[in-house]
Amino acid sequence: MTSNGTRWVLLGATTVAVAGVGRAVARRRHRHQPERRDGWYVVRRGVTIDRPAAAVIGFWTDRERMDRALAGWATLEQLDDDRWRCVALDPAGGGTEWRAEITVQGPGRLRWRVTDGPEQEGTVWLTPAPRDRGTEVRAELRWRSGPLRRAFGLFGGDDPDQGLRDTLRRVKALVECGQVIDTRRDPSGRGPAQEKATDKLRDRLTTGGRA
Amino acid sequence: MRALCWEGVGKLAVRDVPEPRVRAEGDVVVKVGVSSVCGSDLHLINGFLPAMREGDVLGHEFMGEVVETGPGVRRLRVGDRVVVGSVVACGGCWYCRTEQYSLCDNSNPQPVFTEKLWGHSPAGILGYSHAAGGYSGSHAEYVRVPFGDVGAFQVPDGVPDDSVVFASDAMPTGWMAADFCALKGGEVVAVWGAGGVGQMAARSAQLLGAERVIVIDRLPERLATAADRLGVETVNYAETDVLEALREMTAGRGPDACIEAVGMESHDVGPVYAYDKAKQSVRLQTDRPTSVRQAIMACRKGGTVSIVGVYAGLVDKFPLGAAMNKALVLRMGQMHAQRYIPMLLDRMAAGEIDPGYLATHPMPLEQGARGYEMFEKKEDGCLRTVLHPA
Repeated sequence: MTSNGTRWVLLGATTVAVAGVGRAVARRRHRHQPERRDGWYVVRRGVTIDRPAAAVIGFWTDRERMDRALAGWATLEQLDDDRWRCVALDPAGGGTEWRAEITVQGPGRLRWRVTDGPEQEGTVWLTPAPRDRGTEVRAELRWRSGPLRRAFGLFGGDDPDQGLRDTLRRVKALVECGQVIDTRRDPSGRGPAQEKATDKLRDRLTTGGRA
Repeated sequence: MRALCWEGVGKLAVRDVPEPRVRAEGDVVVKVGVSSVCGSDLHLINGFLPAMREGDVLGHEFMGEVVETGPGVRRLRVGDRVVVGSVVACGGCWYCRTEQYSLCDNSNPQPVFTEKLWGHSPAGILGYSHAAGGYSGSHAEYVRVPFGDVGAFQVPDGVPDDSVVFASDAMPTGWMAADFCALKGGEVVAVWGAGGVGQMAARSAQLLGAERVIVIDRLPERLATAADRLGVETVNYAETDVLEALREMTAGRGPDACIEAVGMESHDVGPVYAYDKAKQSVRLQTDRPTSVRQAIMACRKGGTVSIVGVYAGLVDKFPLGAAMNKALVLRMGQMHAQRYIPMLLDRMAAGEIDPGYLATHPMPLEQGARGYEMFEKKEDGCLRTVLHPA
C-alpha cells in the first residue's frame, strides 16, 4: 500500500514532468510560427531554380508554354503591360479557387495580392544563386488574420505558408521540367473509398514540407 | 489489366486494376515484358518503410515494349524494346544535369514524408511506396513511365529479356557501388551480400580493376554461384568470423574497399543480432545495420566503405569511432540509373557482363506472391524471381 506522502510526491513529479514537456513542445512550436508584424503574419520562403534569371522570367512571359504548363490547375490573364490576373484551382478538386492580381515591379521582382477572400499579399524577387546553381527565388508572404482565426484556419487545413511552399515547388518544377508530376490517378487495386482516403494522404504528403 | 498489389504487411495478391494512360507530354506507357522482384521490395512488403497503402502496385525493375508515347517524347517510338531505370528523373534540374539522377528535385510529387524523415526529398521511384512518390509499379501488364526520354533506354539486339531486366536496377546499383570505391587497379574489394546487387557489384569491381574480390554471405548456394560465375573468393559468415577471415586473407591490411549490398534487414549470428532483431521487430529501430558495422570494422585504414543496401531511418551501435579514427571514406546512395544504363547496355552487348543467371525463377505474374515468398525464404536456390505478365 502506497503512503499518502508517496502519492503526493508522485503527483508532484508527474505535474512537473508534464509542465516541462508542455513547455518544451510550446517552445518548439513557437520556433515554427510565422513572424507577427503590425497585425500581419509574415513568412519568407525560397527555392533554387536551375536556370538563369532571364530564363525564369522568360518562362513566365512565354504565353503558349505557360498556358500549357498551367493547364488543369490555373489560368493567367494579362490585364495590361505589368499586370496579370491569376486564378488557381485546387488540384484535388473541390472547387476551391485562388484569385490574385500580379504586378511586375521591376527586373526580377513582382508582387501579388489576393483579390477575393482574406487579405493576403506577397513579393517575389530573383537573385543569382552561387556556383552556377541558377536562380534563387525568394518570396515573402503576408496575410492578415487574428490568432483565433488562424488557429481555426489551420485546423481546417488552410495554411497560407504551406500554400506558398507548395507554389514555389510547382514553379520550380514547371520551369525546370515543364510539368508538375502527379501520381494521383496511377493504377491501383483500391476501391473508390480506399482511393479517396489515399488521396487525402497524398495531399498531406504533397503540401508543405520544404519549398 | 492484372497487377500484383500490396494488401497489407506480408500480404500480396494479383488484382484487376485500370490500365495506365499517357498523362503528361513526356510520359510513355510500357507493356511490361519482364519485371523482377528486388530485395528492397521486402522492406516495403514487410512494413519496415510504413508508406504503403492497400492496393499499391509493386515492382520497379523491368523491361518491355513502348506502346504509347506522349507528344513531347522525342527519343522513343512505339514498338521500341526498352529497359527502364527504377528511379524517376526529370532531366531538367541541377541534380539531373550533374548526373545525380536519384537525387532529382522534381520527380517525387509527395516529398513531405522524406523531407521530414531525411531533411530533403530524393527522386521518386516507380512502385516504391508513397514515400517515393506513390507511383504505380511494374508488376503489371502495363506501366506509365514519366519522363520517358530520360528514363527508358533502347535495348541492343541479342540481349535477352531475362538478362537485360537487371540493367534497370541491380546492375547500375552494383556498378555505382564499385564506382564509389574509386578503384585505380590492383585493389582487394569485399562485398557483403551475394544477392543480385552484390554479385553485380563484385563483377563491376572486377571490371573497374580490382585484383581480388571477396563475397560474403551465409547461403552456400549463392556463394557457390558467385564463385562459379564470377571467379570471386567467398566467406560464409555463418561458419567463419568475417573480420578474422578478411584480416587473414589480406595479410592484416583489411580490404581496400568494402561494399555493403545487403540493407536494413541484414542477418548475422550471435546475441547482438538477436538484440537488433528484437528491437527492429517492435520498431525501436528501423534498420538492422549488421553488415555496415562489419564493413566499417573490416575496412583497411583510409579505405572506402560503399553502401548501396537500402536503409530507411535510424540505426543503433553505429561504429562512428572506427570510421572516424581509421579515416574511412563513406559513400552511399540510391543508384543514378540514367547515368549508368547506356554504358551497361554496351557492356552487356559486348559480353562483358551477363546477369541473366540471376533470373533463377521465371514465373507468370499470377504467381507473384509465391515468387516473393520463394525469394524471401531463398527456397530452391532462388536468387531472383522474375515475373512475366504476358
